[in-house]
Formats: sequence, C-alpha cells, structure tokens
Amino acid sequence: MTKNTLRTAEKIPSPTPSQPLTAEARPVHQQQRRNPPIAGELAAIALAQQGDGASFEVLYNMHKRRVYSLCLRMLGNVAEAEDLTQEAFLQLHRKIATFRGDSAFSTWLHRMAVNVVLMHLRKKGLPLVSLEETLEPSQEDGPRKDFGTRDLTLSGSIDRITLEQAVEELPPGYRMVFVLHDVEGYEHNEIAEMLQCSIGNSKSQLHKARMRLRILLRQKADGKVDA
Amino acid sequence: MTSDRIHTPRECDEFQQQLPGLFDSEHGLQQHAHLRTCKNCSSLVRDLEYIAAQAKLLLPIHDPSPAVWNNIQTVLSRQAKDGNKSS
Ligand SMILES: [Zn+2]
Repeated sequence: MTKNTLRTAEKIPSPTPSQPLTAEARPVHQQQRRNPPIAGELAAIALAQQGDGASFEVLYNMHKRRVYSLCLRMLGNVAEAEDLTQEAFLQLHRKIATFRGDSAFSTWLHRMAVNVVLMHLRKKGLPLVSLEETLEPSQEDGPRKDFGTRDLTLSGSIDRITLEQAVEELPPGYRMVFVLHDVEGYEHNEIAEMLQCSIGNSKSQLHKARMRLRILLRQKADGKVDA
Repeated sequence: MTSDRIHTPRECDEFQQQLPGLFDSEHGLQQHAHLRTCKNCSSLVRDLEYIAAQAKLLLPIHDPSPAVWNNIQTVLSRQAKDGNKSS
C-alpha cells in the first residue's frame, strides 16, 4: 500500500524532527566516511518501522553488501557469513522500531551485525581474543631485523585482492580486531567493549595482526617476483 | 629522514614493544627519537602504516546469494502467520 511513496523518499520528513535520523552521535570517525547517507533511506526506515515489508526489502538491498562483507571478513566462511547476514536482518526486523536516529542507521545496523557475529562465535565457544597470541608473541611476531637488510618497503606493492587474501589467512583472533579497527573503522574502546577485553589488548592484537600481515604480504610480493 | 646508526637488537626490541600504544598517538610515533636514526624500524613503521591505510580502502564488494533474502522472507512470513494465529 505504501510502495509508491518510496520514490519521494527525501521529501518525507523524519518522524522525530528534533532528532534527525542522520544525526551523528560521534565526532568525525571513519564510520561516518564509510556510512554516507543513502538516497531514500530515511523514508524506507520510517515505513519499515510501521511494518511495511517492501520498505524493509529496500533497506535489505541497500545494506546487504556491507553487512555480508563484514560477516564474511570476520568469519572467513561463506556459509556462516550468509547465515549470520540472515540473522542480522531478522534481528533488524525485530528491532527497527527502536531505532531513534541517535546514530546513522548504517552505523546502528552494522553494530548489530557485529554483535550477531560475536554472539555466534561465543556460542561456538571460540575465544574472540586469543590469550596465547596476546601474551606470548610467537617467533614470527618477534624482532625483527629480518627485513632490514633488504631495505624494502611494502609501499605501493599490494593490491586489494592480495590484501583481502592475506586478511583471510590471519588467525581468527587477529583478523577480528584488524577487520573491526582498520577495515570497519571502530575505535579501540569500542572494540574492547565488543570483545570484552582491555583496550591494551585490542591495541596489541591489532599490532600483531598488522605485523603478521606484513609477513604475509611480503611473502606474496616475493612470490610474485620469483614467479 | 633517518640518519644511519646501528642500533642494538635490544634498542629495536624496546622500541617495537611500545609500538602498539604509539600507533594510537601519531605524534608520539612520528617524533620518536628511535625512528629518526633506525632505518629498520622506520621501514617497519612505514609498512604497518601502509597496511592500515590500504585496509581502509577495502570496501564491501561481496554480495550474499539470493537465497539469503528468500530465507529471510520465509521466516518473516512464517512469523507473521504464527502471530496472526496467536492474536
Ligand atoms: Zn630500530
């Protein structure tokens, strides 16, 4: 019944004018850069909040790629990523009426998706942050004169696909923090809260993830040269 | 610029152990005396900064299969039916 109103998306006022739906609660943040307002989103949210199925589908199509990519990068597994994308949107459906526009909708939704993934991993009994990885740096993380003699930097040598592959090869604990911080733009305090670890722990895991990536990327770069 | 100076592994180690914290305070990192004189650690820091910068460019590129939306629809319509029955 409300399908036809979607085309006039931008003209429909927010249901709570005092709290515009696109208002950002946080200062400048990578989340903002990555979550620009999407044309038609406000109207679709308002209608979906009233139970309009077609508008919910519009929201799904607007956000499925971001949510799925997030799940896939965090989990490294297509089947699980699809299951959890489904779960995230079902949860969105249950909770959309509670969205009040304190943050951008996409920020709100992505945080929900992150929580769905983390809940899933907790249920599986997997540690979100590996303590061994944190407390005992393995040799490959350790110092580290290894590349100095070649005086070679990675700069300019990696493309997106190579980096994607290297991220997939990270141990789950490292990958989680790396994806949340460097790819998704969450701050350490947010990650610490999500993973229920200390901020120092989050920083340390991120550092180790980058160190491991450096090794993986150098190996890949060497492979290319050798080939 | 870095001026060449041989650093002991211990000096490099101590510097690298501080790195996780230094990355968050960019001034702290760039001003660090060790970086001005250690080629090895400078190259390490450049690489890690480069990796972080490249990661920001990893945009979402994967789409879920159409089955995902079909499943969502199935669940939602089943819930709607159950809801109607119980009300
Ligand atoms: Zn050094």
